[in-house]
Amino acid sequence: MEDVPSRNLVASLVAAGAATLASSVLADSALEHYRGSFRNPAMVLPLAAAGLGIVVNAGRALGRDEGRSIGISSHVGSMGVGATGLGFHAYNILKRPTAGGMNGLFYAAPAGAPAALILSGLLGRTADTLRARPAEQRDAIGRPLAVICAVGLLGTVAEAGLLHFRGAYHNPFMWLPIVLPPMAATALARDAASGSAHPMTQMLLGATVALGLVGVGFHIYGVARNMGGWRNWRQNILAGPPVPAPPAFTGLALAGLGALLLLRQRKEHHG
Amino acid sequence: MRSYSETEAVDFVIVGTGAGGGTLAARLAEAGFSVIAMDAGPYWRPLEDFASDETHQEKLYWTDERIVDGEHPIKLGSNNSGKSVGGSTVHFAMVSLRFRPEHFKARTKLGYGADWPVDWREMWRYYAEVEDALKIAGPVRYPWGPHRGRYPYRAHPLNAAAEYLARGAEALGIDWTETPLATLSAPRGKAHPCVYRGFCVTGCSTNAKQSVLVTWLPRALAAGAEIRDLAMVGQIETKNGRVTGVQYHREGEWRFQPARNVIVAGYAIETPRLLLNSANGEFPNGLANSSGLVGKNLMVQLNQAVWGIVEDEVRSYKGPPSLAISEHWNYEDRGKDYFGGWSYMSQGPLPITWARTLSGGRGLWGQALIDEMARVNHSVGLKMVGEVLPDERNRVTLADECDQYGLRIPRVTFAFRDNEKAMIRHALDFMDQSLAATGATERWQESDDTCHLNGTARMGNDPATSVVNSDCRSWDIPNLWICDGSIFPTVGGVNPSLTIQAMACRTADRILLANHEAS
Amino acid sequence: MADRYPDYDVLAKSDTLSWNPVTRKVIAERMATAEPDILSPEQHATLRRLIERIVPQPDNRPPVNTVALLLHRIMANRPDGYRHHRLPPLREAWTIGLAAIDAEAQARHGQPFALLSNREADDLLRAIEASETQAEAWQDFPPALFWSWRLIPDIVSAYYAHPSAWSAMGFGGPASPRGYVRLLANRRDPWEAREEGNHHGA
Repeated sequence: MEDVPSRNLVASLVAAGAATLASSVLADSALEHYRGSFRNPAMVLPLAAAGLGIVVNAGRALGRDEGRSIGISSHVGSMGVGATGLGFHAYNILKRPTAGGMNGLFYAAPAGAPAALILSGLLGRTADTLRARPAEQRDAIGRPLAVICAVGLLGTVAEAGLLHFRGAYHNPFMWLPIVLPPMAATALARDAASGSAHPMTQMLLGATVALGLVGVGFHIYGVARNMGGWRNWRQNILAGPPVPAPPAFTGLALAGLGALLLLRQRKEHHG
Repeated sequence: MRSYSETEAVDFVIVGTGAGGGTLAARLAEAGFSVIAMDAGPYWRPLEDFASDETHQEKLYWTDERIVDGEHPIKLGSNNSGKSVGGSTVHFAMVSLRFRPEHFKARTKLGYGADWPVDWREMWRYYAEVEDALKIAGPVRYPWGPHRGRYPYRAHPLNAAAEYLARGAEALGIDWTETPLATLSAPRGKAHPCVYRGFCVTGCSTNAKQSVLVTWLPRALAAGAEIRDLAMVGQIETKNGRVTGVQYHREGEWRFQPARNVIVAGYAIETPRLLLNSANGEFPNGLANSSGLVGKNLMVQLNQAVWGIVEDEVRSYKGPPSLAISEHWNYEDRGKDYFGGWSYMSQGPLPITWARTLSGGRGLWGQALIDEMARVNHSVGLKMVGEVLPDERNRVTLADECDQYGLRIPRVTFAFRDNEKAMIRHALDFMDQSLAATGATERWQESDDTCHLNGTARMGNDPATSVVNSDCRSWDIPNLWICDGSIFPTVGGVNPSLTIQAMACRTADRILLANHEAS
Repeated sequence: MADRYPDYDVLAKSDTLSWNPVTRKVIAERMATAEPDILSPEQHATLRRLIERIVPQPDNRPPVNTVALLLHRIMANRPDGYRHHRLPPLREAWTIGLAAIDAEAQARHGQPFALLSNREADDLLRAIEASETQAEAWQDFPPALFWSWRLIPDIVSAYYAHPSAWSAMGFGGPASPRGYVRLLANRRDPWEAREEGNHHGA
């Protein structure tokens, strides 16, 4: 009996992480693909995939179940669209004139953004597996899930690092997402390797969850720092920092907390 | 703002508040000197005062009467002189380039022109200081010349016009890069980043442009300098071989401001004009003019262009006009039948400028002009900034006519010589190849434009062949200094504003050092 | 040529973030500028005819008040900062120039410039441009210099200071505080002109 709430908690955390990532992707790709005038019809795909992902994963996080088949099609769909997006974005960067090589990375389609959709699908699929498996087989998911979250966090750091470099780190707070999530990711990876969950890791992941939300606030302020402020939103929501981007950290850290719980249970069961 | 009285001498009166004078006002005030910087123009507040309009913004230009003559009389105003606090940096195109090191020693290293009495490594340090003060947005890696530190801000995105330069350069196998620009690519203090409105050369209404008006002058004010606007200096007075202050016209009357030192920073026409207009019994040929070189060796820069039509909608009115550059021909000496270097940049002309280009450069008028204007969104162009060699026949003298202040107006005499003509031929041909390689058709060449003003009070190591020494101090009058584009012995193939500001920083340090040694 | 931007009117943006207050004021004043009475009726007619030939009005758009704008410039007689040594100051140059154009028309066709046919007027203008004039009036007043230093730049500058001219060329027009986001080829922001027959962008 005592096992049930924690099973729900882990699966819910991972599903919540997947839903948060999908929300970030939906809003961000809606904005960025509006900037790109939806020139390619395929540019609506990530919106559809992320939208479905939000419905499915948020339902799972709240304990509802829209059914297995819709879950699979949503998760696989997200991964497929994400992978295709990576290809499109790479092409978009490479077809620009290169110079020192940075202008395309700064201003063309972001290389890392579609990866968030892949991660969202992967986490959603993991949450479903957690729900489906009997308790004794679930703990084994802890380690790979921790690795996925750690790698995902580092990828997101790379993207934030590149774009904050483009912004010349003009505000010292822009260093926060470069400093904190790598610490959380490293701690999580270390725990995955050692098979034990440290309290410090939990703190760091919790702080990363908060960072993603605080980041939205900073980016809202960042938009206001542009000429005309929010009154000129049609320009500045695109010219300023992307408001929906930071919660990608929140989503991955939430799932990371789920992985940490699994590692702890594994230790309790096997250690 | 602090204000000084006319009954007491200040340490420095600076004439002009542009790239030379504004920079010096900040650096000298910060060093503790009492400083008044005077400008003939008004002190604008860009957020409230600037319209998005070419005609209205002519208020930034120096449009007082000047006579131009010579074989190629030059057109002044929009792209080479300003009458505003902040000088022509209020309407400059923000292109912030360093000289090629060898260009500081053009005579000994490359066999033409004259040497600068300064070492490029020293200038490299001052360039870095200015780039940081202006938060220049530049490329991560600069393809030409010796190592330079990272630009403080990242480069701006390319617009379509810049991509055309890039593709052409890549097709011809030469380097290009994002132009280092003095406009913000990220917020700075209260200043917003650039919104890519494209009216840069008519004055920036958002303060993203890091002109002298919004960078050095706030520093100068914070350090206790006075900026006296609408003050036209007409004469520098001397006594016993030293300057004693300036006569200036403000609010309808002539006034006198005593000063222990005077720095002239009026750019390459007003500076020699003031020195010549200040002739008196002690200095009958004008101040600082024992060499006879005041006003001589006027150097503009070549500003020829190639234009063409493409299928793409380019809409080059968006963004700063020159987002991409190639300095290849500043650094490559082979394959030239002339001396000197040039760079070229992408372009984004506004309607009136474009109409004057098509009607003046291409002879279009009537329905042909209107129809061609309607194709502007498919037009693309490349424009050079090319080196003009010093030549004493190109000069500023005084005309007999007087202006609204009763001062004799300048007469500006200029002609291209064979070297310039050869460079123009090569550059136009090369830029044409570059445009052709990108598929541009109906290409044509704009062959007579010029920009920038330099060289009418050159610096050097010999009082017989220069007006000021390496500290920008006049050879003849120890408390008279000149610090602006006038002191350039050569101009190189880059826009001069960054070099003027770097030289002003160096001059401030030299003044400090001299002051320290004297006390 | 047909208007490439038939559904575009830069003035439609005047109440948006693309126009700051000082721009609105400046442009409204310019469009409301009337023709000051500073020339003789004959010279006024010559100037009007001259402007018709140099910068024809846009089709289906409010006409540009080029004559009024140029007359104001002539009236102000404000220098532009570089006067060719063989030309007099602005107002004097225009007064002499308009008289010389009329004298040329009289010499060639026996009637004032304002009454010449399009073809006769354009041939005469080409003669000025090429310094192939016949009238005595050009004796100390070089026609080609007047053409390239005064006549052409002054007229095209006045014409292209007007929103109708901007709309016809698909120019974005005033842009502050709002500038642009989409800078690449064939991309445009929703507040930019759409080119007829071109379906790129927003």
